[in-house]
Amino acid sequence: MSIMSYNGSALVAMIGKDCVAIASDKRFGIQGQTVSMEFPKIFEMGPQLYIGLPGLATDIQTVAQRLTFRVNLYELRENKRIRPKTFMSMVSNLLYERRFGPYFVDPVIAGLEPVTHKPFVASMDLIGCPMVTEDFVVGGTCSEQLYGMCESLWEPNLEPDDLFETISQSILNAVDRDALAGWGAVVYIIEKDKVTTKTLKARMD
Amino acid sequence: MHEKVSRDEYYLSQPKGAHWYPYEDHGGTILAIAGEDFSLVGSDTRLSEGFSIHSRDHPHTYRLSEKTVMGSVGFHGDVLTLKKLLDSRLKIYEHEHNKAMTTSAIAAMLSTMMYGRRFFPFYTNTILAGMDENGKGCVYSFDPIGSYERELFRAGGSASSMLQPLLDNQIGFKNQGDVPHTPLTLEKALALIKDVFISAAERDIYTGDGVCINIITADGVRQERFPLRRD
Repeated sequence: MSIMSYNGSALVAMIGKDCVAIASDKRFGIQGQTVSMEFPKIFEMGPQLYIGLPGLATDIQTVAQRLTFRVNLYELRENKRIRPKTFMSMVSNLLYERRFGPYFVDPVIAGLEPVTHKPFVASMDLIGCPMVTEDFVVGGTCSEQLYGMCESLWEPNLEPDDLFETISQSILNAVDRDALAGWGAVVYIIEKDKVTTKTLKARMD
Repeated sequence: MHEKVSRDEYYLSQPKGAHWYPYEDHGGTILAIAGEDFSLVGSDTRLSEGFSIHSRDHPHTYRLSEKTVMGSVGFHGDVLTLKKLLDSRLKIYEHEHNKAMTTSAIAAMLSTMMYGRRFFPFYTNTILAGMDENGKGCVYSFDPIGSYERELFRAGGSASSMLQPLLDNQIGFKNQGDVPHTPLTLEKALALIKDVFISAAERDIYTGDGVCINIITADGVRQERFPLRRD
């Protein structure tokens, strides 16, 4: 039994043309038993900045709360919105503080730069090693399935509508091959002037 | 005589056990698709062990008869033994019954051969592909102890979890709402196999070097090869 697969989760974030998308499943389970089908794993950290947290459910909530606290203090002190790359370093620092007793989460970050609106995605491991990519990042118990789907379906410069279709098909088909993730999915499409949230019609098994 | 050790060393040490393990994982990925009048089974051509590569040109598909091809990955010793045993059993059948074994018969026989080793299994992930008695393509997939099922498509091996969801989506039309279920043509299936192996080679370290696809039709078996990333 692995701690990272105790609750089950699926997260993916993708870069499109002047937009990013981030999607997650909605299952909260305790090993085989499904407890809730409305367990959010994506949290808003800024107007165009979102973090997805796959892994152990209690740590998902704790990290989200502690991160919100730090981001609020940052915005009060600095009097500006936090940039995605800075936020990534903030998450990395929070996780590495617990190097020898870590939070069991593998964060996935998606956002747009405040001024240039340049798309940004990043992921990291449970002790905060960051990785920035130009295409997509995945996380959760079905990360291999997600890698397979994203690698085949993604292409650069997808418009928001096409990015939505691509990320939706990636997550829906990947979680259908994982017993611990699924039971619904939610997608956020982040553009420079709006954020669209869509709940996907998925197999509820 | 027992070796003199300190009290701490005795109480804090782990019990020592046997270090020899009968299996190794030689990597590789296989994929089979059944069409209306054809069958495809493809594999990468890399044979690896840990972080080393034994060979860049060692396909994981093996021709059993005019209309059946086996793809097998896992512990290479068991892959070769399974092929050897299957070949001889096929030959015996041909001598006794004066005809070649059908694909479904080979599948049923393979299942019993593998279950015969239930308590020291063949450490292999195998997929059989061929033409059935009605001239349609068929794919049979097995687990290491012989549980099997006929399917339309199956991926096996180290990158199977990356390939299978895409096949569900593109061939099974899963999660695609009201898209019309057009039957799969040979050209589309070949293009799909090439694409998925390229994707698998990107993300799986044990998959790469090249792809070898066996195309099984009523006219027999033909092979196509193309290169993959070698890193």
